[in-house]
Amino acid sequence: MNVLSLRNVSKRFGSLNVIDGLSFDVEEGIVFGFVGKNGAGKTTTMKMILGLLACDSGTIRVCDEEVAFGETATNRHIGYLPDVPEFYGYMKAKEYLTLCGEITGLSNAQIRSRSDELLNLVGLSGVERKISTYSRGMKQRLGIAQALLNSPKLLICDEPTSALDPIGRSEILSILSAAKKYTTVLFSTHILSDVERICDRVGILNDGRLMLEGDLADIKSRHRENTVTLEFESTFDLQEVQRTFSELPFVSSVELQNRSLLVRMSDTIDGNHRLLEHLTRLKLPLLKYEVGEPTLESLFMEIIK
Amino acid sequence: MRSYIAFCKKEVLENLRTHKVLILMIVFLLFGMMSPLTAKLMPEIFKSLALDGIVITIPEPTALDAYAQFFKNTSQMGLLVVLLVFGGMLSNEITKGTLINMVTKGLSRPVVILSKFTVASILWTLTLLASFATTFGYTAYLFGSGGQPNLLFSIFCLWLFGLFLLACLLFFSSFTSGNFAGLALTAVSLLILLLLDIFPRLHALNPIALASLNTALLSGAAQVSDLSIPIGVTLGLTILLLGSSMMVFRRRKL
Amino acid sequence: MEKIIEYLPFLIPIILLELVLAVTALIHLLKHPDVKFGNKTIWIFVVLFLQIIGPILYFTIGRSDQS
Repeated sequence: MNVLSLRNVSKRFGSLNVIDGLSFDVEEGIVFGFVGKNGAGKTTTMKMILGLLACDSGTIRVCDEEVAFGETATNRHIGYLPDVPEFYGYMKAKEYLTLCGEITGLSNAQIRSRSDELLNLVGLSGVERKISTYSRGMKQRLGIAQALLNSPKLLICDEPTSALDPIGRSEILSILSAAKKYTTVLFSTHILSDVERICDRVGILNDGRLMLEGDLADIKSRHRENTVTLEFESTFDLQEVQRTFSELPFVSSVELQNRSLLVRMSDTIDGNHRLLEHLTRLKLPLLKYEVGEPTLESLFMEIIK
Repeated sequence: MRSYIAFCKKEVLENLRTHKVLILMIVFLLFGMMSPLTAKLMPEIFKSLALDGIVITIPEPTALDAYAQFFKNTSQMGLLVVLLVFGGMLSNEITKGTLINMVTKGLSRPVVILSKFTVASILWTLTLLASFATTFGYTAYLFGSGGQPNLLFSIFCLWLFGLFLLACLLFFSSFTSGNFAGLALTAVSLLILLLLDIFPRLHALNPIALASLNTALLSGAAQVSDLSIPIGVTLGLTILLLGSSMMVFRRRKL
Repeated sequence: MEKIIEYLPFLIPIILLELVLAVTALIHLLKHPDVKFGNKTIWIFVVLFLQIIGPILYFTIGRSDQS
């Protein structure tokens, strides 16, 4: 089942087409990485999903109900973590969660048990300070607890890690991975390593549309480059090897990079076998043999070019 | 209903913890105490200011003078303090973005307006009552019996005018951005009402009468019947402003 | 003057309330690192020397929400 689906959604600010015919679906139970550079329209898209901004055209459905601008009933399925969540600084975490719980219609018993459970999950149980004294990371963690309070079917996080230091980032990512057990996560970011760490599917937004969308493992294998990096002992004459290798029928090019050779082949599986045969036969002093793996970064750079 | 009560509780907590209740209470208690005392000590103050040879004679102050001081203080400085204290109740939340979490949790936007109006009105009522009770006690002690004709009616008028200002604040904050735009537009509207009071034909309608004729009501210079139209107009405007701020706020981008 | 002294019991609570207001504002001001605009020194003068209205201005427009 699709928890979220967008069809031909467009949004224009003045003469600028921020979102231009955007369509995608998010299946239940996955972590969807919504990637794009700053200003690509990630926040705009999320605000439209939440009914905080009106779309100019197209439809957004959450759990098969259409989102309306302004007050939208679909928000009862959604937990939202804004990029910089703002709280009432004069409250304590528990008071804030109680307020959220009462607004969202939980019973008092549910509020008590849910907030204890969630404060535990985000590592804020026992913190009795006012929220105004929290660090950014703590606010972000309280933001996740707040967003998960009503057991939403869809958790939307807008750049939850961008403003944090490496420790804070890592904490948020593990909390989000843990949240996957309870809910579907739509998670926007421009930090690609975060996506590689926790996402199942990824969509890359550029110029207002998704340039690439799919299963992260699929995308990687589809874009696997048929390259092998070879590193040799330092005394070895690389130019000689470069010449021999480039004459092989299955090799398309050989590049010399510092102390290593980057070998491009027409087919990886077969090529690997034959390359290894050659290496053993020639008894070359090999230090490292690495099959090229596409990074999301290189894919991203290629796509938004 | 539950979210209305929850958000009202939040408003009360906010007003307590951000010192708003403290300010209102202290300022209005001060007015309550100072007004009769200033009236009582007025001859002394003039005497100490008097230069040699100039004799200023002012009549012995009465309870009416005490209430005149009270209404002057509360309708000017008092309402100004109310405006300052409640000026940012909606716009601060909009600029900071604190309402986003609430609205995405399913809090209806009209409820936001309604709870804010409820709590601000309750606080205004309580402070005005406390202030009035203090002045009443002090006046009775300093001037003998403090009973005046139309006293409660006069207080009611001022109270209603306060509610009207709160509705103005919410209305103007519901579509403007920035921390002070709502407050500034309310101040401008107040100024316009004051200017309109110059025209005799509008005089009989102007809500400003509720905050300017208070003493005249006590002295008999104005009758209760003079106020019936301004009361109707103010009541109507307050409801209209509240209703429209709910409508406008519903479609506002947060 | 003697009349002023006669009314001293009435003046004392007024002075006390003004003090409470000024001191609360001053404590808040000193405990918080910054103000919304202007600087802290100016606000200390405003709070202490503008009776009643000084602390009100501080709490309504001068205070910062951060701690």
